[in-house]
Amino acid sequence: MNQQVFKGKKKAAVGGFKLLKKKADALKAKFRDYAKAIAETKGTMADDTKDAFFSLTQAEYAAGDFKKAVLEGNMVAQVRVTSAVDNVAGVKLPVFNLQDTGAVSDNQTLGLVGGGKKINASRDRFSLVLKNLVKLASLQTSFVTLDEAMKVTNRRVNALENVTIPRIEGILSYISRELDELEREDFTRLKKVQKSKEERIKEEEARKEEAKENAKAEGIKPMKTVNEDIMSKFESLDGEEVLF
Amino acid sequence: MVETGGLSTFNIQHGYVEALVRGMRNSFVSDSDYHHLTQCDTLEDCKLNLTESDYGASLQNDSTLTPQDLQKAAVDKLAVEFQYLRSQAVAPLAQFLDFITHEYMIENIMMLLKGTMAGRDINELIAQAHPLGMFKESTMRSVVAFESNAKGYADLYQCVLVDTPVGAYFSKFLQESSQNVGAAGEIRNVLEETEIEIIKASLMKYYLEDFYAFCSSLGGDTATIMCEILSVRADTQAINVTLNSFGTPLNDPSMRSTDRRRLYPSVGFLYPAGTSMLAQASDEESLGQVCSLYPGYASAWACHVENDDRSIDDAFFERDAALHELAFESQMHFGCFYAYVKLKEQEIRNLVWITECVMQRQKEAVNQFIPLFSQHAPWRQKGGRR
Repeated sequence: MNQQVFKGKKKAAVGGFKLLKKKADALKAKFRDYAKAIAETKGTMADDTKDAFFSLTQAEYAAGDFKKAVLEGNMVAQVRVTSAVDNVAGVKLPVFNLQDTGAVSDNQTLGLVGGGKKINASRDRFSLVLKNLVKLASLQTSFVTLDEAMKVTNRRVNALENVTIPRIEGILSYISRELDELEREDFTRLKKVQKSKEERIKEEEARKEEAKENAKAEGIKPMKTVNEDIMSKFESLDGEEVLF
Repeated sequence: MVETGGLSTFNIQHGYVEALVRGMRNSFVSDSDYHHLTQCDTLEDCKLNLTESDYGASLQNDSTLTPQDLQKAAVDKLAVEFQYLRSQAVAPLAQFLDFITHEYMIENIMMLLKGTMAGRDINELIAQAHPLGMFKESTMRSVVAFESNAKGYADLYQCVLVDTPVGAYFSKFLQESSQNVGAAGEIRNVLEETEIEIIKASLMKYYLEDFYAFCSSLGGDTATIMCEILSVRADTQAINVTLNSFGTPLNDPSMRSTDRRRLYPSVGFLYPAGTSMLAQASDEESLGQVCSLYPGYASAWACHVENDDRSIDDAFFERDAALHELAFESQMHFGCFYAYVKLKEQEIRNLVWITECVMQRQKEAVNQFIPLFSQHAPWRQKGGRR
């Protein structure tokens, strides 16, 4: 009965182990993808950022110090970062998206008297960097979340594989061993009972025989004495042998 | 109008100041200094090289040199030198020097106005102002004191700006805009609806026209030299405004002939035939066609079309530098004062460029500046071959 319970448990544990293993594999594949994407984005990021800041220098060379004009302007966000949730094998990953708010830049005519083209070039460069930065942030966050999820999953997989299933198996084998033991005990007991029964039957039969003999004794007395003599002869021999 | 004086009388009034500015001409960073600077690997090296130059004294205090520090120190140094010249000058040179500062005043006022609209702290704004365009402290502070509503702006103009040298440009601008808008006197509406950059461009246009008129009234060599410089500057503004307006609302067909056209100065070689053609230009191609009619600008335009390394701004800067250097070649005129300030500005741009390049490790771009009074300047090479 308990064995049935544990057999069920074992089946569930193995099923769970298989499922989790699948999940861990899926996560690992995704994890590799992310790692690749991060490496790629980061590789271009360094150059892009360098270019962007240099284009700002170029713009400042051509248009003078326009930082003030930008800082004093009314700051209406042109892009916003929204976050969505992506689902990978049951793990919720945050995904950041850049969204254009459609606000019109109030600095369109910046550098009108000179350097406007350079400022626009710089603006484009920085937009690109911003886009990449958000992408990288999204990837990085997913990466960390995925890493965490993977650790948890792997821990579960390992726990199932190395602790839970062996324990259940141990219990199962113990139970079966106990059951076998019980069976054997029963068997020997039965045997013993049978034996004693047989003995009893034999005794009874012997008694019956004796009774019969006794009943017959009146008729055949010398036979019995012969029998007795033979027995005593063996017994003495046995005793001698043991002593020897 | 006081005459500047000719060959025989110029030196009576202005000889000393001219001698000063010609002495200051020696302070320009030389070719070899530039060469050493471009070889630097760190900003410390740059600083070490600069201590040899005229900037040594102004850079002593800063422990580490950043391009921003360098710029601030250099601009302050220029302002001190200029104030010194100004204090020695008498009319009409004094007026001439004041005219030079008006440009920076316009910039500062625009910065203050924009800062006020954004609700920034006045002390912060004053600290950022260009030292050459400083007003009296009380004037600057009162710009912010006015409320940002229609009445506040009207008061601002009537109480503060009207007193300043650039007030006249403001009144012209407001008058012209209100004619367009219809509601006269609504300064705030004008100020809020028009972008600061456009106001600035209009004010610069009035300033250029005014300066031009003043220089031609001085007559003599001053008029000859300064009018050429200012004409070229006016043309540069016209071309730049046109080029930079592409892709902005200013390029709308309805805005082209009204709003954009009003930003073209009514002086310069392009005026009036060229500017009326510029007013029709709707894209880079048509602008290029206009430029190709003027040999001086055709080459600059070619830079814009062909070469990615040098933009049209670089071409203009280079030509300006040549013109300004030439202003030092003759005597008995005021052009060299204007040229001195402009060349120093270019030098500051150069130094900032070099230090930025050094800081950002952009070795291949470090030579894209315009050396001043250099024997290797392209326009001198050209002259040599001729």
